[in-house]
This record gives sequence, structure tokens and C-alpha cells, in this order.
Amino acid sequence: MNEQAPLRIVLAKVGLDGHDRGVKVVSRALRDAGFHVIYPGLWQAPEAVVRTVGDEDADWLGISLLSGTHLTLVPRIIDLLKAAGLDHVGVLVGGIIPEADIPKLHEMGVSRVFGPGTPMTDIITYLRSEGSRTHA
Amino acid sequence: MLSDLLARLEEKDRLALARLLTLISRGEQLPEISSAIGTRNETTPVVAITGNAGVGKSTLVGKLAEYLRGEDKSVAILACDPESPLTGGALLGDRIRMPSRPDDAGLFIRSLAAASGHQAVAEHVDLMIRLLAKFGFDVILLETVGAGQGDTAVRELADVVVLLVQPESGDELQWEKAGLLEVADVVVVHKADLAGAEKTEGQVKELLSLPGSREIAVLRVSSRTGQGFEALWEAVMAAPRRGTTLDGRQLLRLAQQLLADRYRSRGAAAGPIIDRWKAHQLDESQAAEQLLDLLVR
Amino acid sequence: MATAMDRKLWARWQEEIEKSPPPELPATTVSGVAIDPLYTPDNLDGFDYDTELGYPGQYPYTRGVHATMHRGRLWTMRQFAGFGTARQTNERFKFLVDKGQTGLSTAFDLPTLMGLDSDDPRSLGEVGRLGVACDTIDDMRQLFDGIDIEKLSVSMTINAPAAIVMAFYLANAQDRGFDWRKMRGTIQNDTLKEFHAQNEIYFPPEPSVKLAIDVVEFCAHHVPQWNPVSVSGYHIREAGSTAVQELAFTLADGFHYIDQTLERGLDVDQFAGRLSFFFNAHNDMFEEIAKYRAARVLWADRLRNHYGAKKESSWKLRFHAQTAGCTLQDKQPEVNLIRVAYQAMAAVLGGCQSLHTNSMDETLALPSEHAVTLALRTQQVLAYETGVTNTVDPLGGSYFVETLTRQMSEEARRYFERIDELGGMLGAIDRGFFRREIADAAFAFQREFDAGHKLVVGVNAFQEKDEKPLDILQIDLAVEAEQVASLNKVKRDRSAADLSRTLDAVRRAAEAEENLLPSLIDAARARATVGETMHALADVYGRCEGAVV
Ligand SMILES: Nc1nc2c(ncn2[C@@H]2O[C@H](COP(=O)(O)OP(=O)(O)O)[C@@H](O)[C@H]2O)c(=O)[nH]1
Ligand SMILES: [Mg+2]
Repeated sequence: MNEQAPLRIVLAKVGLDGHDRGVKVVSRALRDAGFHVIYPGLWQAPEAVVRTVGDEDADWLGISLLSGTHLTLVPRIIDLLKAAGLDHVGVLVGGIIPEADIPKLHEMGVSRVFGPGTPMTDIITYLRSEGSRTHA
Repeated sequence: MLSDLLARLEEKDRLALARLLTLISRGEQLPEISSAIGTRNETTPVVAITGNAGVGKSTLVGKLAEYLRGEDKSVAILACDPESPLTGGALLGDRIRMPSRPDDAGLFIRSLAAASGHQAVAEHVDLMIRLLAKFGFDVILLETVGAGQGDTAVRELADVVVLLVQPESGDELQWEKAGLLEVADVVVVHKADLAGAEKTEGQVKELLSLPGSREIAVLRVSSRTGQGFEALWEAVMAAPRRGTTLDGRQLLRLAQQLLADRYRSRGAAAGPIIDRWKAHQLDESQAAEQLLDLLVR
Repeated sequence: MATAMDRKLWARWQEEIEKSPPPELPATTVSGVAIDPLYTPDNLDGFDYDTELGYPGQYPYTRGVHATMHRGRLWTMRQFAGFGTARQTNERFKFLVDKGQTGLSTAFDLPTLMGLDSDDPRSLGEVGRLGVACDTIDDMRQLFDGIDIEKLSVSMTINAPAAIVMAFYLANAQDRGFDWRKMRGTIQNDTLKEFHAQNEIYFPPEPSVKLAIDVVEFCAHHVPQWNPVSVSGYHIREAGSTAVQELAFTLADGFHYIDQTLERGLDVDQFAGRLSFFFNAHNDMFEEIAKYRAARVLWADRLRNHYGAKKESSWKLRFHAQTAGCTLQDKQPEVNLIRVAYQAMAAVLGGCQSLHTNSMDETLALPSEHAVTLALRTQQVLAYETGVTNTVDPLGGSYFVETLTRQMSEEARRYFERIDELGGMLGAIDRGFFRREIADAAFAFQREFDAGHKLVVGVNAFQEKDEKPLDILQIDLAVEAEQVASLNKVKRDRSAADLSRTLDAVRRAAEAEENLLPSLIDAARARATVGETMHALADVYGRCEGAVV
């Protein structure tokens, strides 16, 4: 087993909002921290996200949303992941999520929610400590 | 674990395919996987798309895949982007330009990080190609990191190499001259919707018309307008297939990989040889011979 | 400003500065520009009052575009509003007018901004969420029902489908008996910055610009008091650019619109005076003020000396400002009130013509009425209590502000040259130049923040242990169903023959490269939806998919 293998993470912008500042900054920070970041671009449909995660055999999926549609889109993605046999993939959510909604997201199976103003080191440290459940 | 994956592969399990690709990209269990897959199915064309960064490789690969889906051919894409030499990290963004067809089982896209240095494609791509062919894809498209020094490797991996250039000043074309003659089976003047494409086409043809050079198709394609894809595919199919016939080169490549893997796992044992070489007690070729002996043993 | 300096005292100050400890945090602007401890006449070598500053209302307008500026007339307090259905937003508009707001500003929901109808599967969960849903002319009629749009100036923030929404607006206004020639307002219609930063993209760059210019041309002839483009730096800045990038890219966009409109055979003085601007008001007070001043100078110079405009109104850069949404924090959200107040002060000291102040809860949700009221009150305090309106350009002549203004103009000019080298605006877009520059800047700021060189109150400094959340406006999830139902009703009631006839005419006009507004107005009256009309245009223009990094 190759211990050094970099973690693979798909960062997906879902929904219609085009605010990609956050996702781009995170992509670069993770790249610089040694991750393999797969960025499929804006406006990803839940089905497309799940397809990407599967084909890319990702360890993690980071979902970025800023338009407030998290309670509509995140559960759909998580259901589709399950249906596709991808429930071992860790799911992160990044963006503006009201405090009250965070427990709901955890309940659905989201591992962590990172709000605006999160230092990049928090995300990096978290992913490193969790490692890969795909390649456990 | 591996046997399970291989069994699932037989049943066309896409996740097993994806996982096996990961194992290969990490250099894990290569001999086992390799022998399980067997030799490559020669009827599946492997087409490499190369050219400088920004010339539109990803976009063209995506459009070509859509064209081929229209022809009812299933397509697997291996898209390479560079890995950072310092951190080993990579930002793999080729998918941005490629079609998203979540319901289409006939399209598979995998992003790969190519190690830094002069690699045009990721490591062990040859085995990945064999795997994808075995899975049953009709066409395999390989996007390189960019044109340059790793081109000869690409030549050995692919049946047909398509080089993209774009309408630019004549100077840059000169820079590509060597690469043009050496690697390409088909040259595409891409972004043909932009001004100057015809002129560039003429320049390329002139460069290629040197006496004694091979017959190379030159054509204009625009991913933006969709112009030229049918002609491109015709040219690809008409190009003489490279000798990916079993001529020993494939074996040599495998042997090279085995050596590299052994060096990685037994590198420590090479310490004394390296020390003596550093201390000028051995010259370079002597040291290399001894290293080879050590790894072969 | 060749004031003689006492060199002995100057040397003494320098000695003292060398002995004193360096600043705790790097003394750089938000954009990362290093700032000296002191600015003196030495910084303004060769400064000439008449050519560099002049008088307010006179070329080169460094000090402002009107002779009396805010002393004569206050800026327009224009709060952006829109959510839910047209009926709900119409109520909010009436509420704001009642509170003393002097202009209306319309926010559309994401589906509308992206050119999709409310019943499109991609719109799921987004209808009426961040703005008002507008599918057909019926929604437009409802939106401005009971509002006198000859009296109030109306602004509409929309880009990719701007020509279609403008057609809705014009058709509705005419049907209600308003005179196009008397109507004032602004449509954002700035498609270029979508490619740089904001990503509300539908067609490829070239036809997108063509469509935008159709609005400019049509308004120049028929709606003369309307601002047909609001050339916007706001979103470029929100995407993480520096102040100079915001300045340079926005002006370069403006130049491109001028070039394209000139190609239609219009004289520059026929339309240049109606191009307006929209800038960000970020945290760094002096950098922002210098940015607005430099913008006026660069624009005036280009219009007068490059384009040969004769009318002074063509030389004047007028701008709307909005406080920076990206500086709002979800931690200790009341602190946002304070940020917004300083940002608003910068915009006013920089000579804005209108201003939107963000509400403190805007990162969390759509603003509540309480938060909106406070945001408007912030402007009213600024206008009536602080005294900043008493004199024009109070910072003019400041060694620091004048130096920064000069620096920013120079750096912006360097960007103009870079863009030319890359083959002009479309060439630079194609090469991903703007996106890369902006992403680099955003990443650089993030690193400064992560390193603790830039502090954000409540986030990486002065945190609060137990925060109590604000009461936020909950979106009624029934909105989506209501909107889709009314869209379905329109679709049932309209004439299918009229619809296909007018949409065919739109296609033909697009193929013939005619101005599309007349055919779009006909399609609007036939109750074509935004989505249907965009589709018809895409048949000719193609779509721009996946071309965004
Ligand atoms: N004008 C034009 N631009 C294109 C075309 N194909 C790709 N591009 C643009 O070229 C740029 C680089 O494309 P990409 O596929 O990422 O190039 P790669 O780095 O070679 O993979 C992008 O901005 C594309 O939008 C084309 O046919 N015409
Ligand atoms: Mg690429």
C-alpha cells in the first residue's frame, strides 16, 4: 500500500450561482497542500456531481453553494451517492449556511461544514486527519 | 480485494473500473493487474491529443467525444494535468471543458496528474489503456499535459497522435517544427473560428512538405462552431496505425517500470553504490551497471 | 504642490521613524499595496493643480463630476431589492419609497439572471430566492404596478438576458401610457464582467456583446435618458480582484462597449454620456477614494483625447457604488453595520452619484425590513449628520490621496496595455487573462488572511464565544409553486401563433444581425418567456457552455 498517495477530492459548484471565488481559493490551497483536486466547473447538476465522484474514484466531495439552496441540493446529492454505491465518500459543504441548518446537514451525512472566513489550514488539517475512507 | 475488483470488472462495474485505475495510477499491484488484463485489444483505437497549454485540447477532446457518441461509439477519456513538483498536489481542471452526461454509460472521463519533470502523461497510462480497452470502450482519447519533451512516450502509447496548433504568429510555429515532424500523425489547426487559421494551415503544410517526410493530414477544426470533426475523425482513422503491435517495446516499457518500482522499494540497498559513485570510485556507467545488477537480482 | 520643506526637520522625523518599532501588521492596503508612513510634497513631484485636479465639474473631474457635488444635491439612496414573486417585490418597493428612498433597484432571482424560466429543472430551489422571479411581461407589469416610472428612476440588475428584460420593461411602460423619452433608469447590461467574474453567461462573448450594444443603440435613439449599460467593477472586486484590477478591467470593458457602439455608426457624443459605472466600496478607505478619483481621470482622458468626444457630458464618469458584500461576515453580524458605514463614507468622499448600503444580515439571508431600514439610515446619517457633504472633495490635495490616485492611474494604464497586447478585450478573455489575474489576487489575500497579516474582526480576531443568531427573513417555499403556476397560466392563455411568429422574427433578426429590440418587444407582447426567447437566440448565437474556469 502506497502511504504517500495523495487524497483525491472533487470540488463541485452546484446550483445556478456563479460565485466561484471560494471554490477556486480552496482548490489552490488544497493543491498546494498536496491534494489532487478535481474541479468540474460551475453549475453542476447533482447527477453530474455523482458521476464525477464515481469515475474519478474520489475520496472526498466538497460541495460549494452560496445561493441558499443547500437544503434542496445537498440531500439530493447524498441520496444519489448512496444509490450509486458511493456512500464511503466523505462529503463537505462550503459556503454560507445559516447556523440552524448545520445540524440538519450533519444528519443527512455531511461530515463538515466550512463557512466563509474558514482558514485554509482548517480544511487541510481536517482532511489530513480524516484521510481516506475510500482507500482505508 | 483485487480478485473481487477484477471479477466486478468482468461484470462491467464502473466503480471497479474507477478503483482499478486508482490502483494503477498509484503503482499498486501492477504485475497482478497486468496479467489479469492480458494484452491489449488491438482494435480499440487510442488517440492522443497534444499541443501547448491553452490550445484547446480539453475542449476538442470533449467535442470529439460528443461526436463519437453521436456515431454510437463509446469513449473513455484520460485527461492529464501537471502535478506540482514541490508538493505532489495537482489541480485537475480538464473536465470543465468536457461534456457532462451523467446518464450516458458510454462516456467515461478520468483526470490524472502527470508527475513533474518532462512527463506528457501520467505514469502507467499504458496499463490504464489496456484496462479501458478490456472494459469495452470503443475509442480511448488521451489528453496530454502539453506538447514538449515527453512526446516520444505519447507516440509509443497511442495509435494516432493528433497535434493541435492555433492561429498564431509564425514564430511560435517555428518552435513547434520539431514536434510537428516527430510526433504528429494528424495536425489540427484548432480554433479555426479565429482569424488567421487558413494562413496557419498553409504554414503547417509548408513545414510538413519537406522531402522525405511522412504523409500527415492537416485540417482546420473549431470546437466553438463544431466545424471539422467529421473530417478529423476520418483523418484519424485513415492515419497509419503506429506499431503498437507486439514488437518488444511494450515489454521494454514494462521492464522499465518494474525496475523503477523495485528501485523505489529497495532504494536503500543502492546506498553504497551511490556513495562510491559520488566519491568518484565508480564512473557513471559502472555505477549504473551495478545498480542494474542489484535490481535484477 | 511644490511646497518647500524644511529638510532639517524632515531628517529628524526620518531618524525617529527608523528608531521606532515597525508596524504590528504589514502596512498594506486591502489589495496588498505597501503604504509609506508619511506622504509629503516630495511624493507629488511635478504636481500641477490645474491639469491634475482642476475644479469640480470640469475636466479632468478628479474632484467630481458636478460643480457643487453633494453640497448641491445628495447622491441617490438606492437600495437593491427583490425577492419572491413580483407582487412581493412590488410591496417592498412601495415600502422603500415610503421610507424616503429616492430610486428603485431591482434584484432578479438566479434563474432569471441565467435566462431560465421558473419551471426549468435547473431552477429548482432557486425561484424567487435571491431576487424576484420574472418569466414574462406579466411579471414586469406586476413588479411596477402602481409606481410612477416617469418620476422615479428605476435600475434593473440583469445581464445575459438584459435585452429581453429591457424589452419587457419598455413594452409594459408603453402599454401603461408612459413616455419612453421621459423615463430614467439603468439596466446593468454589462456582459463582459460576467466573463471576467460573475459567471452569468449564456451566449459566447461576441454575440453577448452584440446583444448588449443593441440595447445601447436602441436607447440612444428611443429612450434617451436611460443608462443602457452600467459598466461594473463591483463583481470583479467581489470575485477577489485588487482595487486596481477593478478599476482597470471595468474601464477597459467600457472602452470595448464604446468601440463596438461606434461600429454601429453612432457618434460618440450620442451615447457616451449615458454609459454609467458601478463600483465596489471596499474596506480600505483611501484606496477606494483614490480608485474613484482615478476612474474619473482615466475615463475623461480617454473620451476626450482618444475618442474625440466633444460634449462634456461624454467625458464625465458617473457611478453608483455598493458597499462590498464580500466583507460582510456571518460572525457577529451587527459589526457589519460598522463596516458598511465606513465603506459608504469612502464612496461618498469619492464622489458617487448613487449608493447602495448592504444590510448587516445579507450574508445569511435576504435582508429583513429591520436590517434594510438600518442600512438606509446609515446613508441618511452620513448625508445629514456627519458634515461630509459641506465641501466638495475634502481630501483633494492630500499628499497621500493624490499619490495613490496617481499610482492607481498609472497601474491601470499598464493593464490597458497588457490587454491590447493580448489581442484586445475578446482576445484577453479567450486567453483567460482576467480570470487568472483575479484568482491570483483572491488567493494572495487568502494567504495574508491565513497568515494573520490581515485581521477580520470577529473572524480571525476578537471572536465571541457565544453568539446569538440574528432573526433572518425566511423565504416562503410556496413562492416557487406559485410562480410556476402563474407561468403555466400565461402559457395556457397566450396565443401560440403569436408566440411562434414573434420568436421566428427574433431568430431572423439575429441572423440578419439587426438590432433585436423591436422584435424582442413584439415577442414580449406575445408573452414569450425569458427562457423561450433565450432559446430562440441560442439557435443563432450558440451557447457558451463549460467555457468558464
Ligand atoms: N475561439 C476558440 N476558442 C476555443 C476553442 N476551443 C477552445 N477554446 C478556448 O481555448 C481556451 C483553452 O481551452 P482548453 O480546452 O482548456 O485548452 P487546453 O489547455 O489545451 O486543454 C479556452 O478559453 C477555450 O474556451 C475554439 O474552437 N475556438
Ligand atoms: Mg486541458
